[in-house]
Amino acid sequence: MKDSFATFHPIVNFMYFVVILLFSMIFMHPIFQVIALISAITYSIMLKGNSAIKFNLLYMIPLLLIMALMNPAFNHEGSTILFYLNNGNPITLESILFGMAAACMFVTIVIWFSCYNIVMTSDKFIYLFGKVLPALSLILSMVLRFVPRYVAQIKVISNAQKCVGRDISQGNILQRARNGITILSIMTTWALENAIETADSMKSRGYGLPNRTSFSIFRFDSRDKIVLMIMLGLTIMVVIGGARGENTIRFFPSIKMVAMTPLSMVVYLVYFVLCMIPVIINVVEVMKWKSIQSKM
Amino acid sequence: MPDKQVTGKRLSGRTVLATVLILIVIPATMMLGILVLNDRKYYFISLLIVLYTMIPFAMVFEKRKPQARELIVIAVLTAIAVAGRGAFFMLPQFKPVVAIVIIAGVSLGAEAGFLVGAVTGFVSNFFFGQGPWTPWQMFCFGIIGFIAGILFEKGLLKKTKLSLCVFGGLATLLIYGGIINIGSLMMFTSQFSWQALLATYISGFWFDMVHAIATVVFLFFISQPMIEKLDRIKIKYGLIEK
Repeated sequence: MKDSFATFHPIVNFMYFVVILLFSMIFMHPIFQVIALISAITYSIMLKGNSAIKFNLLYMIPLLLIMALMNPAFNHEGSTILFYLNNGNPITLESILFGMAAACMFVTIVIWFSCYNIVMTSDKFIYLFGKVLPALSLILSMVLRFVPRYVAQIKVISNAQKCVGRDISQGNILQRARNGITILSIMTTWALENAIETADSMKSRGYGLPNRTSFSIFRFDSRDKIVLMIMLGLTIMVVIGGARGENTIRFFPSIKMVAMTPLSMVVYLVYFVLCMIPVIINVVEVMKWKSIQSKM
Repeated sequence: MPDKQVTGKRLSGRTVLATVLILIVIPATMMLGILVLNDRKYYFISLLIVLYTMIPFAMVFEKRKPQARELIVIAVLTAIAVAGRGAFFMLPQFKPVVAIVIIAGVSLGAEAGFLVGAVTGFVSNFFFGQGPWTPWQMFCFGIIGFIAGILFEKGLLKKTKLSLCVFGGLATLLIYGGIINIGSLMMFTSQFSWQALLATYISGFWFDMVHAIATVVFLFFISQPMIEKLDRIKIKYGLIEK
């Protein structure tokens, strides 16, 4: 399925992930965690399909369990002592619950990042930071270009070496290793010489001169503005909720959180909508497409 | 070539400022975060570190308006490090990144060493997946390159195989391993305890050991040819700043 959220302006994508990752890291409240986890899983499945389900089941559940068990083994704070270990350290209810919450948070973050990797491609990142950090963004984009280029060049060098019997597939192990190092050495010399040529070419074409514009295929449309405004509004509401203590939970020495009120329900709902923005956008897009199709 | 090129042997005010930031402000933030903020707030220490490490270097670097040649040499070394990490992807922890970062620090200066390290940490995760570990890796790789550059400028680190291998092994084991294990502990623990840290160090010891051995092996084989090539390029195209 095509992801419509990724077609929005990079600033919308980036803002979404920054806000969501920060909130997922700060808010330890169980309901907030469940909301974030469900949204992250839904979006990752939407983005990657079956491989996301496999990833979540195969890697995330074991990770969750290991991390949930790690915490009570080392953390002995909390007032509700369940039992004592052989070495005399107590196992407390609070540390077990905190371990579960921390593990849940870590898993949520990893899943969010797996979505981030798909949506925020490197070109979007370079576009966003090209204005603020032009030199570093240039390095970034050059590196991303060089890596596949070097891989291709290594093949060229290796084939040429094969002709004179000096490839890594020829000779005994010692010779192979030596040939491998020679190939890498040729590669490095080529890369550096080539780099200087590239740099001179860039300079002769006016790199670094003032008043130059850069090409980008991104346009800030009114739909980007609307989504950004909605995101901003929801974020502010969640932050207000956070300031009122609705989103936090205290684990040590005893578990304590604000009692649930109609207001906290509103905050939960707002947070849910915020987390689900990409999913909502995708669903709306599909519905739009379906409605257009049926009319034809 | 009259252009100001790759930074050479010079302990300028900029380097001093960067040293202060890296060696004092960042550990201070770490300590402050550990002591003052509680529970999950450990996470934000790592985010702050990214800001602290990236902002001054990025600002100084951008403000200097670096020449195309300087940019591209840094990009080449980073690309070699990223490709190297990709080439040995099958062997866990057996990666040449630290070796190349040290070579960059020694031959191009502390600042270039830091940039090669930090950018490698960032870019290689475009291939292997970004995550909460990215800032820590960027910091560890970067600071090793920076320290290598400083020590070389001070004459404590030589361009010889032995000197580089000893430094590389120790730096990987103590600096990279030492910091990255704190990072992985912070990601999921609430209360900092020395016991837990010790347990993390013990469980991560063999990973760090493999990493350190990899660094020594790579430095042993590639340090001399690489340094020779970089020096050759510097002389041939006049990249040395005197």
